[in-house]
Amino acid sequence: MDKIIFYEQLAKILDLEEVKPENVLIDFEAWDSLSVLSVLAMADAKYGASIKAEEIRSVVTAADLADLVASKQK
Amino acid sequence: MNFTFHRKRITGVLVVVPENERSFSEDMKNFNFPEARSLKLKEVMGFDKRRVVEPGVCVSDLAVFGLEQLFNRGLLHRDEIDALILVTQTPDHFVPATSSIVQGRLHLKPDMLCLDISQACAGFVVGLMQTFMLLEQESIKKVVLINADVLSRKASPKDRNIYPLIGDAAAITVVERDSEDSVIHASLKMDGARGHALTIPAGGLRMPATLETAILEDVGDNNLRAKDHLFMDGAAIFNFVQTEVPPLIEGLLATAGVSKDAVDYFLCHQPNRFMLQKLADKMKVPHAKMPNNVVERFGNNSGVSIPTVITYDLGDRLLREKLQVCLAGFGAGLTWCAMLVSLGKLDFNLITEYK
Amino acid sequence: MKCIFKNKKISAIVAVVPKEEYRFDDEYPVFKLTEDKAKRFKKMMSLDRHRIAPPDVCASDLCQYGLQQLLNAGALKKEEIGALLFVSQTPDYFMPPTSNVIQGKLGLGHDMVCLDINQGCTGFLLGFMQACLLLEIAALPKVVLLCGDTCSKQMDRCNRISYPLTGDAGSVTVIERCERESPIYMDVKNDGSRHKAIMIPAGAFRMPATPETLKLREVEEGVVQNLQHIHMDGPAIFNFTMGDVPPQVEEVLAFSGDTRDSIAHFLFHQPNPFILKQMADKMQIPQAKLPNNIVSLYGNCSSVTVPLNIALNCGEPLRRETRRVCLSAFGVGLTWISAVMDLGPLGVCKVVDYERT
Repeated sequence: MDKIIFYEQLAKILDLEEVKPENVLIDFEAWDSLSVLSVLAMADAKYGASIKAEEIRSVVTAADLADLVASKQK
Repeated sequence: MNFTFHRKRITGVLVVVPENERSFSEDMKNFNFPEARSLKLKEVMGFDKRRVVEPGVCVSDLAVFGLEQLFNRGLLHRDEIDALILVTQTPDHFVPATSSIVQGRLHLKPDMLCLDISQACAGFVVGLMQTFMLLEQESIKKVVLINADVLSRKASPKDRNIYPLIGDAAAITVVERDSEDSVIHASLKMDGARGHALTIPAGGLRMPATLETAILEDVGDNNLRAKDHLFMDGAAIFNFVQTEVPPLIEGLLATAGVSKDAVDYFLCHQPNRFMLQKLADKMKVPHAKMPNNVVERFGNNSGVSIPTVITYDLGDRLLREKLQVCLAGFGAGLTWCAMLVSLGKLDFNLITEYK
Repeated sequence: MKCIFKNKKISAIVAVVPKEEYRFDDEYPVFKLTEDKAKRFKKMMSLDRHRIAPPDVCASDLCQYGLQQLLNAGALKKEEIGALLFVSQTPDYFMPPTSNVIQGKLGLGHDMVCLDINQGCTGFLLGFMQACLLLEIAALPKVVLLCGDTCSKQMDRCNRISYPLTGDAGSVTVIERCERESPIYMDVKNDGSRHKAIMIPAGAFRMPATPETLKLREVEEGVVQNLQHIHMDGPAIFNFTMGDVPPQVEEVLAFSGDTRDSIAHFLFHQPNPFILKQMADKMQIPQAKLPNNIVSLYGNCSSVTVPLNIALNCGEPLRRETRRVCLSAFGVGLTWISAVMDLGPLGVCKVVDYERT
């Protein structure tokens, strides 16, 4: 998985210019259940990855999220 | 409305009653009536003991317990269940259906139907009709019918009309196709205009539960009841049963071309002994043919009352014999229905206690 | 669980919605959303307006009104109603069944079946299945299927995730026998192990209603709920919708021998436009064939979403012709039901506003 593209897609979902791997997700103002839904949709549509509720709730940083999606990628 | 079903049979019945037993003598202490009058009621109605759930126990708990018993005893395999029909008026939740919860707790297969039907005292006959209709579909070979209610949790302890007679229970009935060319006749009528005679006024969306609906009110007959509680207009229900049930059964027997004498037993819903004796008298059926002893042991346990008569009064006999029975359910709706069916030989016919 | 029904048809559909319409642009300050966040939410979910029933109007009132309309118009006679089904998760009472209450109010005869079924999102298809089962029994003339829910009463007005996407509605569908075989192919699946994904914890018997169960808690910024409200697990619902429903739709298309080309319309339950679009794209169903406008115009109306979808988006052609349709509904249970059938021509197929009588 090209993580640069992933961070760009994540930034778009969060309405930000840029997202860095070390950014903590809950620090983003836009990180809410809506964003979670958008991320799930993006993971499914673009990476064929099906993420469970508990899994997405346990990630801390953007890098954790990228790793999670990569691990589920088909 | 008349129905005819072909090639369907009941293959087993399991009734689950709570271990917890209450007696009329205990309950009597809460009533606003002189003891002598209460004792008279006990004698006439046939109140004595009843089984009620402990606080917090729900319909799905009784159902899951019963089904696990059947699985453990090898009497039923979970993968064989093509449809689960759950008939109750005391569901675990508004959302989701209780049959879904039971399916989930027992890890039953996804390729099946789960259906909750709202019915109480007439629920066994209505539920059986549902199972017979489903078994017309090729993909459905075995249906499990669950009748269950925990109405004691909606009974006011200060209401002498309700409290001493309510029992809780669940029944699990397995229904399959019959290789023999059997016929089952049924008749059903409903009248919503009289439905207020048996109701729980608050708790649904028409009158949501609030602090006000929990307040006990003196409803004028020396009983105290809240809008959250089960209400029964005793006189109206008695008249309803006496007026409507005999012609329904007579009509059913005529349609089926079966005489009263050819029926081995009339297995009716069990509101109380008095009502059943009067019903038997009106229909000119000997009391021995219309068992009326469920209330004094288990209470009036709603849709489970007919399965309770089947297991309690006919127990092992139905493992060895075939009996021609007329089932009759009547109650909330108002609903009244009857079914002429050949019962037996069953694979199992048991009562078990929920702990 | 597969079923086939033959010689059955839907002959009328009336969807009833409250007159009271509320626009997201007017409501969003209540949700404690900044204008930016509100814009983002509105865009993502294609929100516009929804219909909410007044406090004293129940789902049964909406359904009863629709049925009365059909009776008044002579499109249906009282004596033709062999069975009245009421499918809902917002019934009038625990006891008696709401179908009996409506039977009493309309003065219907005694020689009939009244049945209340507890179901949400899949309620229309489940009720339709039930109607077909009943019609196998010769004595029954027609079945009237009422689907209705007032889910707005099962959430807080300030819950920004749930409230703007919800709508109240009722529907009346008449189902009867027909000469043509016109097989209806249906598949039903259930997974109760995931039932917590959509649930109301308190109010019935697992957790009775008390002052405690009415206390509001903020589970997330701008999302308040109590234990008597609908609790939804967004990710679980998303995974269910994307993972379980498409294979079933494929299954039922194979079952009926249809393809995407032979189906004129895919008329699905609509949880929200975002999820539905994801699903449509994944399944490669062209947008033109899969209407996705119910939430924007009325809100997610639980089981009424499917009949409302049919009446709103295909009402006109269906009054004249027969179209091959694929219906699918999914949600509470978790339950998912899909069907392929011919639909139309329908005598009545419309959406009406509820009027107090």
